[in-house]
Parts: sequence; structure tokens; C-alpha cells
Amino acid sequence: MGAWWRGTSLVAERGLVENVRSRSFKFLTGFLLLLSVAAVVIPQILSEGSTAYTLATTGKAPVGIVAALNAAGKSAGFTVKYISRVDEKAVRLAVRAGDATSGLAGETLYTKARETGTFPVLVAQAVVALETSRQLSDAGLSPRQVADLQSIQPPKQISVGQVDDEGRAGAGFAVGIVLYLALTFAGSAIATTVATEKSTRISEVLLAVLRPSQMIVGTVLAIGTITLMQLLVLAAPLAVAVRVTDKIGLPAVAAGDIGLAVAWFVLGFVLYSFLFAGAAALVDKITEVSSAILPVTMILVVGYMLAVTIVMSDPSGGWSVAASIFPFTAPMAMPIRWASGQVPVWQLVLAMTLTAATAMLLVSVASSIYRRALVITGHRVRLREVISGRTVS
Amino acid sequence: MGLEIHDVAHSFGDRLALDGVSFDVAPGVITGLLGPNGAGKTTLLRIMLGVLSPDRGEVHYNGRPVGEQDRRRWGYMPQERGLYPGMPAGDQVAHFGRLHGLSRRDALSRARALLTELGLEDRWSQRTDKLSGGMQQRLQLATSLVHDPAVIVLDEPFAGLDPVAVASLSETLRQRARNGCTVLFSSHQLDLVQDLCEDIAMVDRGRTVLLGSVAMLRASSGRRQLRVHVEAPNHDWLLAFPDVTVVSEEADDLRLAVPPGIEPLEVLDAARAAGRVVDFGLDLPTLSQLFLAAADRTLDPSGVR
Repeated sequence: MGAWWRGTSLVAERGLVENVRSRSFKFLTGFLLLLSVAAVVIPQILSEGSTAYTLATTGKAPVGIVAALNAAGKSAGFTVKYISRVDEKAVRLAVRAGDATSGLAGETLYTKARETGTFPVLVAQAVVALETSRQLSDAGLSPRQVADLQSIQPPKQISVGQVDDEGRAGAGFAVGIVLYLALTFAGSAIATTVATEKSTRISEVLLAVLRPSQMIVGTVLAIGTITLMQLLVLAAPLAVAVRVTDKIGLPAVAAGDIGLAVAWFVLGFVLYSFLFAGAAALVDKITEVSSAILPVTMILVVGYMLAVTIVMSDPSGGWSVAASIFPFTAPMAMPIRWASGQVPVWQLVLAMTLTAATAMLLVSVASSIYRRALVITGHRVRLREVISGRTVS
Repeated sequence: MGLEIHDVAHSFGDRLALDGVSFDVAPGVITGLLGPNGAGKTTLLRIMLGVLSPDRGEVHYNGRPVGEQDRRRWGYMPQERGLYPGMPAGDQVAHFGRLHGLSRRDALSRARALLTELGLEDRWSQRTDKLSGGMQQRLQLATSLVHDPAVIVLDEPFAGLDPVAVASLSETLRQRARNGCTVLFSSHQLDLVQDLCEDIAMVDRGRTVLLGSVAMLRASSGRRQLRVHVEAPNHDWLLAFPDVTVVSEEADDLRLAVPPGIEPLEVLDAARAAGRVVDFGLDLPTLSQLFLAAADRTLDPSGVR
């Protein structure tokens, strides 16, 4: 086992170094970083641009209203500009012309016909609060009592059921999407590495010192590590933004769900990686890689589609149960089903065990293809040729 | 000691590639595995290296069946070049050294020494696919020698090399053999490697057809030819040797086939008695002539078939 691991880690190390040095890695990682930063920064820039409101008033804006709106703006992240007009008609015109978001004149609040924002509501609330406190003072309450009354909060609102499930389903859904995207890139990288070794006959030298399983596991480890690095690159700006600005709302998901999502991602990644490696061992020329991995990509796409359509519509139906346990769809279907909260633990355990066992089996199948296909050159190896061949250790 | 190949057989489906090949490879000498294309040479080397499993027979090293650990100490250069195209030359050699069990530090220092020996010292950080064909060939050799192997196996190492490269590769192999390495290489260019191998194993259609030391095989073959330019009026002096036949006669240069049992020196003495011998020489058969005789083949115009 020690010798096996030593050889495997050498293969992985080489694959890692070569991929990190490659131009396509630098390009893709740079692109992902840009994408991620843009995804975090651009909405903020856009939202900051739109959260400046203007209030038009007859004469100078009342001090109480200004104070209330500015305080609300500070906590909700908007700024308010105040413009004064001579009379009610001018205030109306200012709103109508778009110079102001809302207009306050006497007892009337002017808004645009299609104004759907929250600003008019905030202005109205400020007016009501001001008027209430004035009347309370008039009724003989001390300023302290008035302040106490105004600090009464509505009951704290905690979403249960539907909203919580949506967050969890989102995490399950994310596993599918991230797995699908990661495998689209990593799968072709793994296939290219394996096919390069085969088409350049490096495999022949390697087979004299290594076992096929070492080459395949090492290659999958290398590309898997790189994919993980790229996912971290993709996630880092988001994580920083969440911590620093706390303006980005992520669905509240339990740590357990995240752990499960990561476990499913790893299982699914490993399973499909070995499929890609096995498919790539069949090629004779490097240009045949894309057609050789097409069947694997098809399985991935179909698995993803099944997971999304069947499981989302009826999480506890028979087909959904089957899809969430069958190894090639389980990594995508089970996380979504699990979010519904109706999956017995034994089904989860069974699905994970089956997926892991299939991955192990695929290592040996891919290794066997690798070794047998090596001596068949000059044409694309058909799977039948490999299977019908004699057993080679 | 050395390598022993015992009755190795292998077939691809219905096609029999090897049909019971046996021979020994001694350390300290260069052994050639020779034969035409399709004779089964590559299949045999792949079996020795564990890339293929034989249907029958065994390969022994120092008296024991070859195991994974033994093979890690061997060096193998396959027929088709196997190098990572995008890897820098030096890293490539060091990587193979580490795969063969060297520590990182040893692998790096030996890779450097080997690239210097092979004249590639200034190519250390160049990408492999940017090197010329000849340089890639030398780099390939470096990857199979970096761990100082006790057994060196090369499949068609001379294919496609220019005469300078052939000479330099031959010298590298001779030096390894002098240091006690077991060196086995395959070739279909029999006459090109005639001077390099000391021992040969000739295979044809999956069978061994000729085994032994090149010098012995050539000297003891019945196909010796005496070339003699003698200033004699006629060939009457040849009458004393009824078994000696005239192969060709061009511009007084007489070529005689001397069968086994007749001492070529006696024929030469008879010629000297008949007239002044201007020039003479004893031509031993070439390896391809030996092969054709042993494999019972005839030469067709396109070469050995």
C-alpha cells in the first residue's frame, strides 16, 4: 500500500504541476476569478446607484421626518436627498417630472403611478410616527414614555417550513449544478491527460513501473485538486463579501446540509472522473478524445436532467427514489431529495455506499481498459474488444 | 545470472505472436534481439517488462521469476517515444527517476549528469515538444537510464537515427555494458547493429531461429567467402579444391565460397603459389545473410520479407 501510494502521489504531483503551469489553467482561473469578483461587485454597484431617493416637500423638510428617514437609510443602505418647492402644485410636478421619488405636501404623499419601491412606505411611516408621537405628547405623556412606546417592535419573524426548505433545496440543487460544471471542465482535462499518455505511448513506459490504477487515481487526484482550487477561487470573493459587507443574503442552511453537499460532490466527482478516464483510454489519437467521452457526458447530462425534473416535481415518488439511489444519478438527485426532509436515513446511506462502491469498481474497470487498450493501437478501441480480451491483472 | 527467457508464448486472438521463445541475456555484453518486422520482438519485450502477460513461459532474472520490484530497477525505452510533450526536459528525466524509486534530490542530480553526458545540458528547462527529434530521442534514453538501471531494455532504439546518433547511442550502451549492465535491444536493421551486438537472439514468426555470439555464428557459418585478386593466367590452381565454388569474377577479383571443413588459408596458399596475390580478404556473412539462411527465406527485391 505504501509503494502504491508513493507511485500514485508522484503521478498526481506531476499532473498538478503540469496543469498549474499550463496556459489554459492560468486563463481559466483568471477568468473564474474575474467572473466571481464581478458577480459580487457589479450587483452592489448597481444597487448603490439605485438607492438614492429624493423627497420633495413644500418648504424645508420637517426635521423629524429627515431624522427618521436618514436613520432608516443608514440601516437599509440608501441615501435621501431633500428638495423644497414653493407649493403643493410644484411638489406634484417635481414628482411627475422625475425630479423626486416622492413628494410630501401637507397631508398628501405624491408618488409616481408605477412606483413600487419601499420609499413612499418609509416616508408614510415616518409621517405617521411623527404625528403619533406629537399626539401622545399632547395627551400628556412624557418624552420618555413616547420613546418607549415607539421602540415597541413587532414580533420577530422567523420563517419555518417552506422558506427553510427552499434554502436546503437550494443547497441540494447547487451540488448538481456545481458538480455538472466542474465535471464538464475536469472530465475533459482528465480524459486529455489519459489520452495524451496513451497516444504518446508514455503509458508503455509507465506500465513497466506503475499499475494502471496508480496512473488513473493519480491523474484524477491531480485534476480533482485543481478543480477544487478553481472552485475556491470562484467562491472566495463571495465568502469575503459575505463576511465584510454582510449585504449578501445566502440562504440559511445547516452545517450538516453543507457537509452532506460536499460529500456528494466528492462522490459524484470521483465516480464520473473514473468514467472519463476509462473512456479516454480507448482512444488512439488525441483528437478522438471528445468523441470518446461523449457517452460519459451524455450520462452526466441525462443524470442531471433526471435529478432536476423528476426529483423536483415529486421527491418521494418511485422514480425519484430510484434516481436518488442509482449510482450515476444519486450524486445529483439525492441532495435535492434530501432537502425535502422526507428521505429515510437508510436510503441516504445505501445511496452513498452504492456510489462509493461503484467508484471503486470503476477504478478497476478503467485500469483494466487502460492496460488492455494499450496494446491495441492503430484504431479506436471498441469496448467489446477490451471486455472480450483475456483477463490481465 | 542475467535474464533468462523460458518458452514464452503469446497470441493476440487467433494470431500467434510468440511461439515458445527461449534465450538468455548475459550481463556485461550487449545482446541484440533481431528479426524482421512482425517477428514478435516488441511483444516479447513488453512481456519482459510486464506490460503484457504471456500465455505460457516465464522470464527469470538472476534465477528468480521477475517481479515488480526487479522491474523498477530496469530501464525501458519503447519503440514509440513516450515523453510528456509539455514538460521541461530536466523535470521529465527527474520525474522518471523518482518513479523508479529515486529521491527527489538524487533524481535531480542524476538527471543533470545524464543530460550533460548526452549533450542536452543547456536544454534543461526547454519544453520537450520544442526539442528536435534527435534530442527527444536522447531525452528518451535519459529517462530510461536516470536510475542507473541494472537491466536496460530498448525497443528499436536505432530506428530513424542518423549515423552520428547511431554511433553515440552505441557508445552509451557499450559503456553501460562495460559497467556490468545487462543490455538487450531489438532491431530489424540487422546489418546496422552487426558491430554493436556481441550476442544475438534472432526471431522469426514468433520462434527463435538463431542464438549465440555474433563472432562465433559468423565464423562457423558455412557461408564464408574468400575474396582474392591473383595475377594467374587461369583458375587451374582451384582444381585442388573441388568443393570451393566461384561466386563471382569481376576484373580479376575472384569471389569464392569456402564451405565448412576447408581452411580458407589453404586456398589462399594455393593462390599465392599460382601467382602474385594483389589483394585478398575473408568475408564473413552479414547478419541478414545469416538470418536468411537460418529462417530459410529468400531475398526479394524489397528486402527481407
